[in-house]
Amino acid sequence: MKKLEKATLIGMRDQLGGYAWQDDEISELVEPKLGIITGFQDLLEQLEDLRKIDLEAIPPAGDIPAE
Amino acid sequence: MNTPLAFTPVTQLLAALRRGELSATRLLTHYRDRIDRLGTKSRAFISLDLDGAAARAAAFDSGGQGRQPLGGVPYTVKDLFDVAGMVTTGGSRVLADNVANRDAASVERMNAAGAILLGKNNLHEFAYGATGENEIYGTPPNPYDPARLAGGSSSGSAAALAYGLCAAALGTDTGGSVRAPAALCGLVGFKPTFGRISTEGVIPYSWSLDHVGTLTRSAADAALLFETLATAHQAAAAGALERLSIGIPQTFFYEHCDEEILDSLERLKTFLRESGVKLLPVQLPSMEYTRSVSLTVQMPEALSYHNRFLQQRGNAYSADFRAGLALGQCLLAEQYIRARRFIESYRRDMAQVFTSVDLILTPATPLVAPEIGAVEVSVGGRTEPAGNAITRYTSFFNMTGHPALTLPCGMHSTGLPIAAQLIGRHHADESLLASAAALESAYDFELPLPDLG
Repeated sequence: MKKLEKATLIGMRDQLGGYAWQDDEISELVEPKLGIITGFQDLLEQLEDLRKIDLEAIPPAGDIPAE
Repeated sequence: MNTPLAFTPVTQLLAALRRGELSATRLLTHYRDRIDRLGTKSRAFISLDLDGAAARAAAFDSGGQGRQPLGGVPYTVKDLFDVAGMVTTGGSRVLADNVANRDAASVERMNAAGAILLGKNNLHEFAYGATGENEIYGTPPNPYDPARLAGGSSSGSAAALAYGLCAAALGTDTGGSVRAPAALCGLVGFKPTFGRISTEGVIPYSWSLDHVGTLTRSAADAALLFETLATAHQAAAAGALERLSIGIPQTFFYEHCDEEILDSLERLKTFLRESGVKLLPVQLPSMEYTRSVSLTVQMPEALSYHNRFLQQRGNAYSADFRAGLALGQCLLAEQYIRARRFIESYRRDMAQVFTSVDLILTPATPLVAPEIGAVEVSVGGRTEPAGNAITRYTSFFNMTGHPALTLPCGMHSTGLPIAAQLIGRHHADESLLASAAALESAYDFELPLPDLG
C-alpha cells in the first residue's frame, strides 16, 4: 500500500463530488497538526489490516434486541 | 440532611420535598443563587430558563402535581437536546439561531415526571471531542482544580452538577462523553444499553454509537432517572454484592494506567472479594483496532448529518471538526461497512464473556483530569492525544452497546477524583444500576466536596 498523497485526496474532492474541502483541511489529513485526527495514513493502514481478516458472513451491527 | 443542599442527591431531595421539609421554589432559588455566583466561572451553561423554571417550581408547590417520580427536581441538559422555544446550538456557531419547536423525547419524559429544567449545558462542539474545550462558549474547568479539564464532550453537564448548580444532568455518550467527564469530576455517569433511552430530538454525532446518558451524584440517582427515561423499564431486585461474579479484563483495561488509579481499583477489588463477590479473569476481544473501527463509523455518519449545514454555514465550524468531517468523506463505503461488521463481531465475543460473569470492572479512565490546553498526555509509559486517553477505557462499550456506569472510588494525590467503571449485559441496565447502588452504599469511600471558593 503506497503512502497517501495530498494530490490523491484533492483528486477525490474534485472528481468524485461532495463538499469542497479547503486545501488546508486536506493537508490536515495527510500531515495532521490539530491533534484530533492523528493521521489518516495510520487509519488507512489499520483498515488495510482489518480488510485481511475474514469476517465470514458476520453482518453489520444493528439494533440490540431485548432477549 | 448533612450534605449541603446544592450537593444533595436526588433521592434525598425527593424525600425532603415529599415530607414538605423543602419546597421546589426554595430549592430552585438556591440553585439560582449559585448559578449567579458560579455560572460564569464554571462555563457550564450556554442558555438558561430560570424564570420558566421558577414558574414551574411555583406551580409544583401550589399542588395539583400529584406524586410525580421526579417532582420538583431541577435538572439540566447538554445543548444537543431540543427544548421547545430554546436555541439548540450544539455548542457551535453553526446553529446559533436554531430554535427548537419541540422537546427531545428524554426532555419530554423528564418534564412529565415533574423535573424542572434550568438550562442547557456547554459541550465540545457537536460532541466531537472528549476534552470539552470550546472556543465559543469557553472550556468548563474541573471543580477540583480549575487548571484541569472537566472532560467532555458533556463538559457543561458535568460542571453544572459538580459545581452544585443542578441536581442531575443529561448528556450524550458516543465514546465515553457522559462517563468520562463524570469520572473526572467525581460524579456518577451512566450510559444505558444502546437504544434504551430515545435519542429522538437530540442532535446526532454518530447514530450507530450515540447514547443518551445521565450524570448524577449517586448510582441510586442514576437508577431513579433511568426509571423515567428508559423504554420498557423493569424493576430490578435490590442489588446484592455477594451473589455477583465480576470479570476483570486481563489485557488493555489495566495497562498504561496511572499507578494511583490502579491502586484504587485494587482496593475496590479487595473490598469486593471480602464482600463475597467472585472476581474472575476474562479475555475481551483484542482492542488493537477498536479506535480505528470506531472512527471509521463515526466520521462518515457525522458528515452525513452535517452535510445539511456545510454548504451554507461551513465556515462556522471549528477547524478540527471540519478536518474530521473531511476524513469522513475520504473513507470508502466498504471500509465503513466492514467497521460495522467488526462491531457485530465484538458484540458476539462479548456475549460469550457475559456467559461467565454478571459484570465487568475496569478503571473509568487511565488518568485523572488533564490540564486545560494539553494536546498530548503521557501515562503509564504511553503518550497519546488527551481526548484519546480520556476515552480509552470507555469507547469500546459504545460499539458493543453494553450498559456502563462510572462511579468515584478514590482520590488522587493531586486532589482529583478517581473512578471505576462497571459494565453489564445487554438490557440488564436495571441490574447494573442496582449492583452499583449496592456497591456505593457498602464501600467505605466518600468523595470530598470541591472547594469552590
